[in-house]
Amino acid sequence: MSLLKHTWHHLRRSPFQSSIAILIMSQMLFIVSGFSIISSGLSKILKYFETKPEITIFLKDGLDKATVENFQKELAAYPSIKEIKYLSKEKALSLYKEQNKDNPLLTEMVTASILPASFEVSVSDPKILEQISQNISTKTNIVDEIIYQKDMINSLLRWTNLIRQAGFILTVLIALTAFLITSIIIGMKVTNRKDEIKVSRLLGASKFYVQRPFLLEGVIYGCLGSLIGTIFSSGLAIYFRSQINTFFQPIVFLPYEPTFYLTIFAITTAIGIVIGYGASLVSVKRYIKF
Amino acid sequence: MDITFDHVSKNFSLISALKDISFEVKQGEFVFIVGSSGAGKSTLLKLILHQIKPSSGNIIIDQVNYRQAKKWQIEKIRKNIGVIFQDFQLIADKSVEENIALALDIINYPHAEISAKIDEVIKKVNLNNRRFLFPSQLSGGELQRTALARALAINPQVILADEPTGNLDPYNSWNLVKLLKDINEQNHTTIVMTSHNNDIVSSLNKRIISLENGEIKTVNPIKTKVKHSKKNEPA
Repeated sequence: MSLLKHTWHHLRRSPFQSSIAILIMSQMLFIVSGFSIISSGLSKILKYFETKPEITIFLKDGLDKATVENFQKELAAYPSIKEIKYLSKEKALSLYKEQNKDNPLLTEMVTASILPASFEVSVSDPKILEQISQNISTKTNIVDEIIYQKDMINSLLRWTNLIRQAGFILTVLIALTAFLITSIIIGMKVTNRKDEIKVSRLLGASKFYVQRPFLLEGVIYGCLGSLIGTIFSSGLAIYFRSQINTFFQPIVFLPYEPTFYLTIFAITTAIGIVIGYGASLVSVKRYIKF
Repeated sequence: MDITFDHVSKNFSLISALKDISFEVKQGEFVFIVGSSGAGKSTLLKLILHQIKPSSGNIIIDQVNYRQAKKWQIEKIRKNIGVIFQDFQLIADKSVEENIALALDIINYPHAEISAKIDEVIKKVNLNNRRFLFPSQLSGGELQRTALARALAINPQVILADEPTGNLDPYNSWNLVKLLKDINEQNHTTIVMTSHNNDIVSSLNKRIISLENGEIKTVNPIKTKVKHSKKNEPA
């Protein structure tokens, strides 16, 4: 009787217990694969901002044209400058109105006088931004506020890390639950098959021989759990892909390449196998003492 | 595979199941262990199989002393012993065929040949039409014969048979004993068999170890065939 046949026999004899183990494993690996997909999207957002160096300088109100022009020249003198865009108060208002055209309440009370004029400076070398930021921040008579990519990236990084940490904690908790439940189920199965194990040992079977089907059972739970979990998470990602990607445009938050989803499947399968095998190993070591 | 018991005792709490037993069974011998219920026959077989450990003394099987034996050595010895347990020890949710296949799988019998081997032993013990039935669907005699088939399948060097005729009618009892005798003579397989059936024991002209209250009462190397009742023996 081959090992697979033996293991299949175990699965078939207690389908309810096996289904519960597969279900809990699927849930855990759904969360793992789901967070992996989200995490990959967040990394892309970060990378996008990191590779698109920009600084926005808001100017104080009431500056004369000459001061603004001199300031622009000063900015242009820095090396690696790609583009300096001036946004007047009027242009800022039209942009604001354009962005909030669906919400007239937000546009009614706003006039050009309350919106600041600004410079949007983009560079080819991100290192120069730090220098510009430091130098112009001392010009308090001209500069009102500096929105520097670095601050935005840091803020984004904080959120990304927070989401990743939450995902990690949730994964660890549910992985622990999956481990314990699988371990208990395998333990029950070992107890149910105590006579068979005893007879096999008397017929000369080694300890590993009687442990093998249970260990393989744990691995099968991990593989099936990974397959179901990844199908669900990837299915959801593929289903909502176009809407999500439109929202994050121009960033491709959810990729189109099948290799990405296959990689996620491979990773979750590895995690599933480790947890399934580990849980079974704990059970067989605990219950098969003879 | 020689079996040596050297001053072996086995106690269960305050009860002494076996007291200072010493004997030797040489490869190819056919030995009967007789005695009344509780005399220690089954305990003796369990000790040979290392199912239980002796309280004192040494058991040496195939030149391996169980006291110093490694796990793999015990497993190797067990793979060469075919056992017919008194309570059959068949696996309830496996068919006759699967029970035999399990024993073959344990000894690493070539997978491609397992089915043919099962055919052979099933035919030998006359269980042809019971192959796919489960233990709960078999009679006492059929269970006994399944246990025998499992023991024979592995071509063992030793067969331990604990009351193998206990659940069989006289005809099948004689058939089984004849089968064991043939295996002993043809394959030089050591047979250690416990039995209550005096007719069978006395008919075969084999060595008899008689136990009483855990002690060896007599070791009787019968030289001449004792006359036995022919009425139960198959033609």
